[in-house]
Amino acid sequence: MGERTRQVLPSVLSVLLALAVCWLTIALTRDADTATRAYLQMLWGGVGNWPAFLEGGNSTAVLRPLGEAAMKAALLTLTGLSVAVAFKVGLFNIGAQGQMIWGALAAALVGAHVSLPGVLHVPLALIAAAVAGAAWASIAGVLKLKRGVHEVISTIMLNWVAVSLVDNWLVIGPLRAVAEGASSITGTAEILPSSQLPRLLGDSSRLNLGFPLALATALGVWVWLSRTRSGYETRAVGLTPEAARAAGIPTLWRAGGAMALAGALAGLAGAVLVLGTEGRYPGSLGAPYGFDGIAIALIGNNHPLGAALAATVFGILRAGGTRMQLLGVHKSFPELIQGFALLFVAGRMVWLALLERRQKRALAEKPAQAGVEVPRA
Amino acid sequence: MSLEDASLDIAPGELLAVVGENGAGKSSLMNVLYGLYHPDAGTFLMDGKPVRFKSPRDAIARGIGMVHQHFMLVPTLTVAENVVLGREPTKRGLLDLDRACDEVAATAKRFGFQLDPRARVDTLTVGSQQKVEIVKALHRGAQVLILDEPTAVLTPQESDELSQVMRGLVAQGRTVVLISHKLKEVLGVADRVAVMRRGRTVAVVRASETTVSALASLMVGEGSRGAAMTGVPAVAAGTQDAATGPVVLEAKDLRATGDNGRPALQGVSLTVRAGEIVGIAGVDGNGQRELAEVLTGLRKLDGGEGTLLGGPLAGLTPALAKARGVGHVPEDRLARAVVKAMTVEENVALGRHRQPPFARGPWVDFKGRRERTNQLLSGYDVRPNDPVVALQALSGGNQQKVVVARELDADPKLLVVVQPTRGLDIGAVAQVHERLRDAKARGAGVVMVSLDLEEVLALSDRVYVLYEGRVTGHFPRKDLDERALGRCMLGAEAGHG
Repeated sequence: MGERTRQVLPSVLSVLLALAVCWLTIALTRDADTATRAYLQMLWGGVGNWPAFLEGGNSTAVLRPLGEAAMKAALLTLTGLSVAVAFKVGLFNIGAQGQMIWGALAAALVGAHVSLPGVLHVPLALIAAAVAGAAWASIAGVLKLKRGVHEVISTIMLNWVAVSLVDNWLVIGPLRAVAEGASSITGTAEILPSSQLPRLLGDSSRLNLGFPLALATALGVWVWLSRTRSGYETRAVGLTPEAARAAGIPTLWRAGGAMALAGALAGLAGAVLVLGTEGRYPGSLGAPYGFDGIAIALIGNNHPLGAALAATVFGILRAGGTRMQLLGVHKSFPELIQGFALLFVAGRMVWLALLERRQKRALAEKPAQAGVEVPRA
Repeated sequence: MSLEDASLDIAPGELLAVVGENGAGKSSLMNVLYGLYHPDAGTFLMDGKPVRFKSPRDAIARGIGMVHQHFMLVPTLTVAENVVLGREPTKRGLLDLDRACDEVAATAKRFGFQLDPRARVDTLTVGSQQKVEIVKALHRGAQVLILDEPTAVLTPQESDELSQVMRGLVAQGRTVVLISHKLKEVLGVADRVAVMRRGRTVAVVRASETTVSALASLMVGEGSRGAAMTGVPAVAAGTQDAATGPVVLEAKDLRATGDNGRPALQGVSLTVRAGEIVGIAGVDGNGQRELAEVLTGLRKLDGGEGTLLGGPLAGLTPALAKARGVGHVPEDRLARAVVKAMTVEENVALGRHRQPPFARGPWVDFKGRRERTNQLLSGYDVRPNDPVVALQALSGGNQQKVVVARELDADPKLLVVVQPTRGLDIGAVAQVHERLRDAKARGAGVVMVSLDLEEVLALSDRVYVLYEGRVTGHFPRKDLDERALGRCMLGAEAGHG
């Protein structure tokens, strides 16, 4: 088994097994037909109802689902990358949620209160979000490296601090948008059109620049880790810190840098949410994309491209989940599938052992066949 | 495939030694006996009946005990607690420590060990910890005791003592299987010697009827290499009394604290010149490791001063040491010298990854790195000769070759090596020794910390002996004497000069 296969196969099998388990659950509680149709609905809801489009030319049936899937995939990719990058240096970033909150707020403020042409406005808002996320993550980074505070504890606590400060105070207090007329708004002021992420497929789809941006970021992170000196140093620090130190690598800077980058990536996720779909910092951030990032990173085997792939798959499933309701199946099934996949992928070593045993058996059978063929020849 | 068609008879009440190069399959064979590995084919008879061990538990139940090269002791527990671990005597459901101590003391006494059952294991010397391991196996009723490279970590005195212990066990009717590289030692203690090569047992001979060189040629399987295997020459060629090169290291009154918070260096002074090998001898744990760490920037100095390659020794960092031209082959390879999950070429770059041919600007230079790695792998005969395999897939000897190749390739002005040949087979040992002499010939100053006195004697131009963080002896080449060194290693001051 090649090294690449060893990395990829357990994740793929885990997702497939999770899909099978959830299908079985629906089939047992309802019936097999419903389960299959629910899965089909989930697929149409994620990648678009192509049969309907090809028959009736209903382009919305394809564009809308694609937009929803891409939006979710973009957020999951960025938070997944955030967790994966921290993992590479040996740190467990549970704080993507909090970092995303600050990123979202920074993007919302720059988007609403700075006046610039679009070419500059969007990048500035993105940079602001990345810096805000990085700064928030660096608190945990500095606590870890200077005082030895475990990053799992500090990032979890910082999540709550972020929620309390932003959702429970700033957004409903000093930064609350002034209501115009009779309509009351929750959250911050609406961002200026110049800071919106451009939509790529017209108005019927929410597919915007966020998804390509997330994919490009994943590619960039991968190139950084695998092809640059500092990426190499970061991996060395994560794998064997003492050897990295003995080799003259500034281990503290590398660990701190990776943590800051993790925060920046989560911050970008917040920006993509605000600039791409919400248009303002909403009353609260809603779905816990930051925590989903942990699952995405693990299912993606902490590989930047793996995380992007896992995020795309689950973006599709989750966008399609709502359509399962048409058949009376609860829309949280995609999350259940994600949970199962995470559970199964945690048994990576079990997968590999099973696969290797299979391979050995196949090898043991081969010579026997060869033995039959030789006399014939 | 580490074992193919290996056969071995072990007679009751004998001391059988198993020798072979690294990767010859000695440890694999023993792990099969001990139930850790399961053979793909073949039979295993005990007292004439076929047996099959599912796990070490079965092996222990049948009276087989094993002392691993790396001890399996809990450092913060006492001797007695370690020995009874897993089968603790209890009183009303609670651990009965007094009885445990009595039982362990009785076992120790019966086999002639001097051990305090109430001493904490982390306060014991390596030699005593090994005795704890042996007592643990005996306490569980081992009739057959397997010892894996037991003398790799011992001083000469401790090794002698271990030989007596092993003979004593045999005299009491126990069977001892000794795995070792050290042929001379094996011949002095074993009844029979089994030689393994490439997973096969190629010969079993009576110790009284063979010689070191005969065993060595059996091990390597060819006459030509045999000569180099017979151990080191009494006086190494090319050593000299007084190097006249420029001073690369001048240190005065160095003080440093060990990991346990106790003073590890208490005023060490030494001088190293270009073009000489300076041996640091001593019993394990007398400050050698800390000295090497101070010289490579890994440990902070508490006091003292020195000049290392034109700069102050105080405030040295690993990066600074590297920049000045210090090469380092550390003792704990897997923790300090390599990133085992990375590929061989990534490990060859480690430490020099910012400079050509390993980098171009901020980017990794894949082509340059591959070329240089291939050169080194061929030059040092690393097997497999594959730059992209994970380092952990290599045997210990080949991993060490990669480390030595990397450090010498940087053309260091001062090379600090610690236990450079520990656990290597004689072929690899000879190669590493040759490379150290090469480095010296190229004008590097070499500081070599070794617990293997033969190695120190063979390579060193001068020797400092450390005892409890102080220099207790300083011997130029002409005054080198094993007995005098041994006395200094045990704390007697001598031979300052």
